[in-house]
Amino acid sequence: MFIFPLLIHFFVTIVLKNVLVNSLEQIPYDIWVFPGILLLIAAITANAVIYRDLFDLRVHQRAFLPLTLAPFSKTQLILGFLVISAIEATFYVLVAMGVLNFFLPKTLSALDYFMILVFTPIFIFILGNILITFSLLIDRITTYLSTILVLFLIILFGSGVLVELEFYPKTISLILSNLPLSMILYSLRDIIFSNRVDWTQIFIPIFVAIIWTWFNGFLLKRKLNQ
Amino acid sequence: MEASITLKKVGKLIGDKTILASLTFGIERGSLVAIIGDNEAGKSMLLKVISGIEYQEYGHVYINGLDSKKRRLDIISTIGFVPHEIDLDPWLTLEQNVRFMGFMYGVDTESVNTRMIQLARELHIIPHLKRMVKDISPGIVKKGMILRALVHDPDILIMDEPTAFMDAESYRHTWDLLLRLKGKKTILYVSQSLSEVEEAHDRILVLEDGIISLDGSLDKLLGSTFDYHQFQIEFEELSEDLFQKLSQVPKVKNPSRIGNSIHFYGRERNVFFAVLNAAASAVMKDISVNKLGLQDLMDAKFARDGIH
Repeated sequence: MFIFPLLIHFFVTIVLKNVLVNSLEQIPYDIWVFPGILLLIAAITANAVIYRDLFDLRVHQRAFLPLTLAPFSKTQLILGFLVISAIEATFYVLVAMGVLNFFLPKTLSALDYFMILVFTPIFIFILGNILITFSLLIDRITTYLSTILVLFLIILFGSGVLVELEFYPKTISLILSNLPLSMILYSLRDIIFSNRVDWTQIFIPIFVAIIWTWFNGFLLKRKLNQ
Repeated sequence: MEASITLKKVGKLIGDKTILASLTFGIERGSLVAIIGDNEAGKSMLLKVISGIEYQEYGHVYINGLDSKKRRLDIISTIGFVPHEIDLDPWLTLEQNVRFMGFMYGVDTESVNTRMIQLARELHIIPHLKRMVKDISPGIVKKGMILRALVHDPDILIMDEPTAFMDAESYRHTWDLLLRLKGKKTILYVSQSLSEVEEAHDRILVLEDGIISLDGSLDKLLGSTFDYHQFQIEFEELSEDLFQKLSQVPKVKNPSRIGNSIHFYGRERNVFFAVLNAAASAVMKDISVNKLGLQDLMDAKFARDGIH
């Protein structure tokens, strides 16, 4: 539980802060990347949870069909998977926050830490929906793992977790910054580092997450023919 | 008696293949109904459609008078389903699996405790409740699946091969429980073990290529063949001439030979004596007479052609 955040710190933050030093707004890189690293840890946790609770049970036909026979709608079941992954991910973020805080050159305010904990479930609601869609559409473990690898590559470099999207060519930067996952990270950094709240950037991902949850419920219904 | 399960022209397709073809029948509340049939006859699919795991392509399934598609959330709690495959979570204990399903069905902890202990005692699996499912033998796990299906106290219990993987003792414990529940719950099950079905049923449905070819009690199903007996005479040497001669005896049905034995069916005992008279000159080693059972009925020759 404690080793994973340390590994990310040693192999990602320490290396990249020697390359990037400061963000474009002149914030020290290791402080700027801190929320991103925590959301990355949340993403990895959520993936493990959804793999355990949905994909593994479904493809190996263990305990999944009885679950679908419980008196809940398919959308409620999807919401259940999301809530569980959000709770576990937030808990793990809390632990990682405690560990990584020792390596920050400057401590963030209590409100900043609180905002990270608030934004983690929102981030997981979007990412969890993506993972659930893959878990429902893909039946082979190797295909699933390959897809997840590609997804994490996109999250790492295409959502502003490790590098600012402004480093990309303008068109690509524009596209990437309008993805719901990037919007959440941008909003969080805006609040932490600039004390700005962009409600549009917050509500669009929440709206997308709600629609996507409903869509996954529909997809589950179609997949099971129930 | 009131119908617990009613099917009206229910059909199920997978691709172009018809799995269930316009099935219409009802199952009375509290009855014990067995479904038998060949592999690929559609037995498991029928259970899945009734229990709501799969939807039918056409027709209606009514559970306690409610349409299973339109009122799914209302009827789903009244059904307990035991699939053929082991589907408990292997990384949880048997007890955790049962408790989780109780939680999903909104059963309070006290009721879960009471039912779990009572049913586990009847199924003799109390010592296994705290063990991880991955470490338990399949026969015990199957009993755990029956326990899980009953934890929310459903009105209808649907089981695909309920005694699969079980030894003789587990088989007896399971059927002791199921026979105790008979009358209180509607029990519908599929089995490949015809002796199991002969022992425990109010009614038998014989499924063949997605349609019900026979429906009734064992006595009713055997009605057309009930008076028939299977005769077998083993000779020291059964020549072709002798076999032909015996086959020509009036009222001998479906004669066949295996080695030096002749098998045939007859409705009256005097057929047997007529054959014995005809074979008096040959040396006989063994004679046996069997009453027909479900196994004979399921023999394709009888199911499709009857005895002629």
